[in-house]
Amino acid sequence: MERKLLAAVTVAVAAVTALTGCGSSSTAGAAAKATCTNKIVKADAPQVTVWAWYPAFQEVVDLFNTAHSDVQICWTNAGQGNDEYTKFSTTIEAGKGAPDVVMLESEVLSSFAIRKALLDLTQFGANDVKANYTEGAWRDVSSGSAVYAIPVDGGPMGMLYRKDIFDKYGVTVPKTWDEFAQAAKKLSEGGFKGKIADFPTNGRAFTQALFAQKGATPYQFDLQKPTEVTVDLADSGSKEVLKYWTDLAKQKHVATDEAFTADYNTKLVNGSYAVYLAAAWGPGYLKGLTGADPTAIWQAAPVPQWDPAAPVQINWGGSAFAVTAQARDKALSAKVAKEVFGTQEAWKIGIEKGALFPLWKPMLESGYYKNLAYPFFGGQKINQDVFLAAAAGYKGFTFSPFQNFAYDKLTEQVTAASTGKKSSDQALDDLHSTVVKYAKGQGFTVTEK
Amino acid sequence: MTTSIVATSGKAPRKTLRPERPGSLHRRRQRVGWLFVAPFTAVFIAFLIVPLGYAFWLSLHTKSLAFGTSFTWFENYAKVLDDPAFVRGVVRVAAFAVVMVPLQILLALSVALVLDTLTTRLAAFSRLMIFVPYAVPAVIGAMMWGFLYSPNFSPANGLFEFFGAQAPNFLGSDSIFWSLVNVVTWQWVGYYMIIIYSALQGVDPEIYEAARLDGAGGWQTAIRIKTPIISSTLVLITVFSLIGTLQFFNEPQVLQAVAPSVLIPEYTPNMYSFAQAFSYSAFNYASAISFSLGVVVFIGSYLFLFLTRKRSGLS
Amino acid sequence: MTILTLSPTAPAHERGNRTRKPHRPRRTGSHAFLLLCVAYFFLPLWWLVVASTKSNSALFNGAHGSLFFDDEMSFFDNLAQLTTRGDGLYWRWIGNSLFYAVSSGVGATVLAVLAGYGFAVYHFRGRNLMFSVLLGAVMVPSTALVIPTFVLLSNLRLTDTVWAVVLPSLLNPLGVYLMRVYIQDSVPKELLEAARVDGAGELRTFATIALPLLKPAVVTVLLLTMVAAWNNYFLPLAMLSNPDLLPVTVGLGQWQRLSGAGAGGEQVWNLVVTGAFVSVIPLIIAFLGLQRYWRGGLTLGGVK
Repeated sequence: MERKLLAAVTVAVAAVTALTGCGSSSTAGAAAKATCTNKIVKADAPQVTVWAWYPAFQEVVDLFNTAHSDVQICWTNAGQGNDEYTKFSTTIEAGKGAPDVVMLESEVLSSFAIRKALLDLTQFGANDVKANYTEGAWRDVSSGSAVYAIPVDGGPMGMLYRKDIFDKYGVTVPKTWDEFAQAAKKLSEGGFKGKIADFPTNGRAFTQALFAQKGATPYQFDLQKPTEVTVDLADSGSKEVLKYWTDLAKQKHVATDEAFTADYNTKLVNGSYAVYLAAAWGPGYLKGLTGADPTAIWQAAPVPQWDPAAPVQINWGGSAFAVTAQARDKALSAKVAKEVFGTQEAWKIGIEKGALFPLWKPMLESGYYKNLAYPFFGGQKINQDVFLAAAAGYKGFTFSPFQNFAYDKLTEQVTAASTGKKSSDQALDDLHSTVVKYAKGQGFTVTEK
Repeated sequence: MTTSIVATSGKAPRKTLRPERPGSLHRRRQRVGWLFVAPFTAVFIAFLIVPLGYAFWLSLHTKSLAFGTSFTWFENYAKVLDDPAFVRGVVRVAAFAVVMVPLQILLALSVALVLDTLTTRLAAFSRLMIFVPYAVPAVIGAMMWGFLYSPNFSPANGLFEFFGAQAPNFLGSDSIFWSLVNVVTWQWVGYYMIIIYSALQGVDPEIYEAARLDGAGGWQTAIRIKTPIISSTLVLITVFSLIGTLQFFNEPQVLQAVAPSVLIPEYTPNMYSFAQAFSYSAFNYASAISFSLGVVVFIGSYLFLFLTRKRSGLS
Repeated sequence: MTILTLSPTAPAHERGNRTRKPHRPRRTGSHAFLLLCVAYFFLPLWWLVVASTKSNSALFNGAHGSLFFDDEMSFFDNLAQLTTRGDGLYWRWIGNSLFYAVSSGVGATVLAVLAGYGFAVYHFRGRNLMFSVLLGAVMVPSTALVIPTFVLLSNLRLTDTVWAVVLPSLLNPLGVYLMRVYIQDSVPKELLEAARVDGAGELRTFATIALPLLKPAVVTVLLLTMVAAWNNYFLPLAMLSNPDLLPVTVGLGQWQRLSGAGAGGEQVWNLVVTGAFVSVIPLIIAFLGLQRYWRGGLTLGGVK
C-alpha cells in the first residue's frame, strides 16, 4: 500500500515537473502539429495555417484545397475580430504560436505591422496582383511602397431605407445631407414613432468614414518612417459633420443608440429606424432577421452627399489576408494570401453564403455581380444601383498605428458630445489633444495640423 | 468577479503537533512533508510564481510603439500612479466594494438566518432556488443580464408600462453601476447564503435554547447570538468577496457587448490592464497596472482583516 | 468564542435535521421574504427558459412579451439547429467543458488534499513562508498572468492543446487552504500518532487513517474546483484557437460576437440563448443531485 502510494506521488511529481520546468529544453522548431477545422485534401502537400472568422470560409478553403496540389490550407476560426486579435497579439509577444496567414481588418494593419508582426508582401510578388484591386482598396492595405495584406472584402457605403415608411410620410429619398436633415424633421413631425437613422456613439470606422466624406484625413503614416505620424483629428470637416449629427440628435431627429448590440440589430429591422446607413455587407446582415417586420419594404440608394456636384464615396472597412512574421514558408503563405479569394468560384461562395462585398475586380466587374438581384430588396440590383459606384469612387484611407486607442477615445468623445456634456467642437479638440499626447508618449514625432 | 472559490474556515490553524525532537525521525518527517506538498508546489511554481516573476520583469521595461523595449526600473509604476484612468478605476472598484460587498453579505446573511429558523418544504425549495444562479457560469450569467437590460428584450418594459411608467435605461451611464451590482449580487448571494447557512446549521441548538429561556426573541437571537457565532465565516467570505470586487472584470467585460460606450475599456483597473495589453499592445505597462492593482487588493484585504482581527481569529 | 466540537464524521447537514420550533408569528413574514427572494433569483432563469423556446425573430418581437412563451414553439427547432451547426460543434463544446471540469477538478483536488495534509501535519522548513506566498499570490489579478503563461506553454508546445487549459487549472491555492484548515480541525493528531506507534508508515497513515475522515471536504473541494473549471473563460479564450477545443462558455461568446459583428456575420441569437440554457442544465443537475454531499463539507471545520 505504502509503496504504491509512494510510487503514485513520485509519478505525479515527475509528470508535473517534466511538463513544466524541464520541458523547455526541447527546442521548438516547427509549430506543433496543427489541427485544422477543414479536411486536408492532399495529405502530402505542405500546409499553410490560416486564421479567419467568416463561417462561409469553410467552403472557400475546400475549394482551394481541391484545386491545389502544391499547398493546402489548414484553417482555424480563431474568433471574430477582437477575439482573434487578442490571440494574435499574445502570439506576437510570445514569439511563437501565430498562424502563417491571418485575417485582419484594414484598420488594424498598421498597428500590427509596426510591431513587426506582418511581412511586406511586395517581396513575394504582391504587386503582381495589384491590378486586380481598385486603387482605394490597395491603398488600404499599403503603407508607402510596402504592402501588408491582400484585400478580401470591403465596405463601400450606401443608404438602405424603408420605402414603406418613406412613402407613408411622403418623404423623398434624400440625395444630400441637407435633404436628409429635412427628411428627418419631416418624419418626426409627421408622427413617425421611430427615427430616421441612428448615429451610434461607438460608430468607430462608421463615424470616421462620415468625417472622411467631408474631407477629414486624420492620419498620415508611413511604415518606412515608423517614428513619424501626422495627426489631424480636429479639422473643420470633422467638426462640421459631428455638429450636424449632434444637432440632429439634440432635436431628437436621430437616435444615438450604441451600435453592434442585439438591441441595435433589432431596431435596424423592426421599423425603429427608417434608414440604415450601411456598408455593402449590411444587407446580408439584415437578412438574418427578416421575419422581424413583415411589412418592411427595403430599398438601397447612394449615401447622401455634402456637395452633389463633387460626390465623395466612403468605406466602412473590410478585411484582408496578411502573412505573419512567424510564417514558416513565407513565399507559400503569400501565395495563399494572394490566391485564396482569387477565383470566381470562391467569390460566388463569399457573396452568396457570406454576403461579402468582393474587392477582387474580376468578380466586382463581372456581369454576374452587377446583375445580381436581391430578393430582400424586392429584386433590386443593389450592386449596380449603389455599391459598385461607391467602391469605384473610394480613394483609400490611412489609419494610425494606434487605431484601437484612437477609436476608443473617439467613442468617449462622441458619447460626451451626443449626451450634451460638451460641444461637438470641444469633443474633437479634446480627442485631438488626447491622441497627440498618447502618440508622443509612445515615442512618435508628431506633426499636428 | 474572478475569485470563484470561497470557503469558510474556523479559527487560526491549531497547532496539532508539538515540535518534534531533532534526529533522523524528524528529518524523515520533513522529507515526507515535502513529498506531500511537492506536486502542488510544482504546479504552483510553474503556473503562478514563474509567470508572476516574468510579469514583474516585464513591468520593469518600457516598450513604445515607435522605439523598442528598454529597461526602465520602476518608471511604469510612477506612470501608473499618475495615470488618471487607473486612479479613476480604483476609485470605481472601491465604490463597488463599499456598496456591493455589504449588500451581498447582508442579503445572504438575512436569507440564511430566515432559512435557519424554518424547516418547511417551501424553505428547502427556496434555498435551492436562491442557490441556483451560482451554477450559471459568470460569463453566461452576464450575457443573460445583457439581454434582460436591453430595451427590446427586457421584461422591465412590460412591467413598467403596466404601472404606467417608463422603464429606466439600465445601460445608461448613471444606472450601469447599479446594473452591475445587481448582476453580481444575483450571481453570488446564493453561494454566500449556503455557506452561512451551513455554518449556522453546525451550531449546537442548545445555545439558542438558553437564549430563548432568557427571553430573547427571534430577531434578538439572530443578531445577538447567531451572527456573532458565525462571525469568522462572515469575515472570510467578505475577504473573498472583497478581493473579487477589487479585481472586477468578467461582468463588465461581458456587458461591454451591450453597453460599449458606457463600459469604457478603463472602467475597472483590471479591464484597463487588459485593454492596455490586448488592445493597445502595451504589455509592459499592463503588467505594471496589474501589480499595482495587486498591491491595492493586498492593502484592502489586509486592512479589512486587521480591522476585524478579533472576529476572524486570523491574526 | 464558544467552543463547540464538530465531529468530522457527522457532516453538519445531518445534524441540521434537528427539530427546532420556529417562532409562529414570524413564519408568514419569513415565507413572504423567501418567496420574494426566489422570484428575484429565478426570474432571469425563467426568461432564459422562455427565450430558448423562441425563434430568432420571435426573440426580438414575439407575441406575448419576453416573459411568456410565444405562440410558436421553436425549442426543438433551435435544438436541431444547435446540433447541426458546424457538425455538432456545440455538443463538442459541452463535452470539452465536461472534460475540463472533471480533469482539472480531480487533478486540483488530489493536489490540494496532498498539500493540505502536508501543510497540516508536518512542520517542514519553509512551511509558513510557502503558505504566506500562496495566499499573497492570489492578490495579483490573473490578467497579468496570461502572457507569461502563454509564453511558458508555447515553449512546451502546449498552447492550443487541452493541456493549456487543464494544467494551469490544477492550481487551486484556496483548495489547499481549505484542506489544511479542515485537516487541522478534524483529524485528531492522537489518531495519527497511534497509527505511527503501531508501525504504520507515513503514507499508510495518510491513506488509511486521515483520508476517510476527509470525505466531505474532498467532495466540496472537488465540486468547487469543477465549478471553477466549468466557468473558466479567460484562460481558454487566450490559449486556444482551435474551435474544436473550446469550452462552451468561450464558444457561446464567439457566437454572440458573430451575431453582432456585421461583415460576414450571421445572426444566431436563438442559438446563443438556447445554447446558454442547455449549458447551465448539467451544473444545476450536479448541484441539486449532490447537495447532500457538498453542503456538509461547506462549513469545513465550521465554527469553533
